[in-house]
Amino acid sequence: MSPLDIFMFVARVAFAAFVPLCFIAVCVWMERRGAGYFQDRSGPNRANIFGFRAAGLVQNLADAAKLIFKEDVISGHIEHKFYFVLAPVIVFFTALVSFAVVPFADTLVLGGKSYIMQGIPLDLGILWFLSFVGFSVYGIILAGWSSTNKFGVLGALRSAAQVISYEIPMGLAIVSLLVVYGTVNLNEIAQFQGKFLFGFIPMWGAVLQPIGMVIFIIAAFAETNRTPFDLAEGESELVAGFHVEYSAMKFAIFFMGEYVAMFASSAMIVTLFFGGYQIPFLSTATLISQAKPVAFLLMIIIPVVMYYFTGWIRRSNVSHYPRENDPRVFEATVYIKCFWGLVIILEVLLLAILFSASGGPSAHIFVVLLQVCTFLLKITMMIFVYIWVRWTLPRFRYDQLQKLGWQMLLPLALLNIFITSAFVVALS
Amino acid sequence: MSAKVKTMARKGASLQERLYLIEIFKGMATTFGHFFRNLLDNRKLYVRHYPEVQPEIPVRWRGRHRLTTHADGTVKCVACFMCQTNCPANCIMIEAGERLDGKTEKMPVKFTIDLLECIYCGYCVEACPLDAIRMDTGIFSVTGNNRESFVMELPELLATPGAYSEEEYKKGGA
Repeated sequence: MSPLDIFMFVARVAFAAFVPLCFIAVCVWMERRGAGYFQDRSGPNRANIFGFRAAGLVQNLADAAKLIFKEDVISGHIEHKFYFVLAPVIVFFTALVSFAVVPFADTLVLGGKSYIMQGIPLDLGILWFLSFVGFSVYGIILAGWSSTNKFGVLGALRSAAQVISYEIPMGLAIVSLLVVYGTVNLNEIAQFQGKFLFGFIPMWGAVLQPIGMVIFIIAAFAETNRTPFDLAEGESELVAGFHVEYSAMKFAIFFMGEYVAMFASSAMIVTLFFGGYQIPFLSTATLISQAKPVAFLLMIIIPVVMYYFTGWIRRSNVSHYPRENDPRVFEATVYIKCFWGLVIILEVLLLAILFSASGGPSAHIFVVLLQVCTFLLKITMMIFVYIWVRWTLPRFRYDQLQKLGWQMLLPLALLNIFITSAFVVALS
Repeated sequence: MSAKVKTMARKGASLQERLYLIEIFKGMATTFGHFFRNLLDNRKLYVRHYPEVQPEIPVRWRGRHRLTTHADGTVKCVACFMCQTNCPANCIMIEAGERLDGKTEKMPVKFTIDLLECIYCGYCVEACPLDAIRMDTGIFSVTGNNRESFVMELPELLATPGAYSEEEYKKGGA
């Protein structure tokens, strides 16, 4: 193995392991500030380091410090302490590992060798994701059962009831997708979505499989235990459901597991239905050959976007009451300078692309980075949809979820498979 | 006499509502409207920036108690025990003593209000025949580090001024 091979290996694994972890902070921040804005309040905006609040991100640090230093209680009445500790680990681990097969950029070709941009270069793709996601519910059931608590057991029971109602429609929605794509390999699926329908519509899963998309997204909401299907932890009915006996870092790991699961399933939705890492109308080959015009276009777009963004920071980051020498204005000035510094660094890098040999390794790496950014942007938008739905819809009762799963989604998914197969057979 | 019965139309039966997704998208549009409006201009949040911006306390608000004084600064209270008798929470403890300045015969030597017991019902104010106890200080937030700091004694109750003028207080219906 050459040093490049080893570097690419480490970079890939590090990306698949650490980006979901970093996104926990982003998700929690989006959730809390987003919830605030949805409900016409402001969300966490007081925690600061030397007066710098980073739009509320510092609150995450404070929460993390609190959770780490809290006493980790295991109540005396818990008989199976091993399973009790194992449960959050299962939830977190399965969520993290399920992201490992998702390609975050197109295959990178460097020096005649191609590197698949996945954490684990497996061809299993969807099957790997389905198996691990299905496994994560065992963590929840184990947690509820081993807490030896009525509320915990009820939460676990609801989780079990939930799993039988969404798993089958989800699997069937994927079957109809597989009929269209003809492969389980996620990288091939993402490449497939770079093609065009009638020559101008990107062949995204959302265009080819709208019903499959709706079914899969509903099932993905249920699978990540998010509202409207968060019945395993309904705080108004079950106190906290399955994690009622958990405290400190064990609770935090459940919490982080939920957000990693949200990230992983957003990544999956994006890969299956929204073109994965593909930039609409710009395939990988086009991007590599046209790296210079794209870089030039970005050099113009980034400062313009940043100009409006800094204006927004300037308007938003002020005190909303009369205050002498408002410290928030100074804070905003510092942020704006940081962002412009970032823009200058980006501009220099893009300039380097402009002056490098066209179609060379720098163009390839540039395209990979561009696709990674696109992918993360799409995931962030999908996570926003998760949060948006959470603050719009009330919780389902679990018989309602079963009714939805068995009486609506299942026939719909079967019908979808039938229609899709008929189309595929007729067209081939 | 039969009760007047009004039949309410049940919602959720039409096809559009039964499809569910359309109604969900309508709801999401509403919430997104709120989100986007607040994101563009966060001055539109319905938020008071407490504690920097304090709420306006109306005159009739029952805040922390105080004992009123005569014009010369002596206590009005005659230790009649009306407030203590009337108090549903038993938080007032008065110890009466002889008054020597000739205004009345009795005066409180000790007047203790335990704010941890107090339910802020205002019965003491209503019971007082001499308008000696009032809840017009406008103090709505009583905080402390220990239980003892919540026990108000006579000097403290006398020292707290009222937050409103006499005319405003009378207009408030007291």
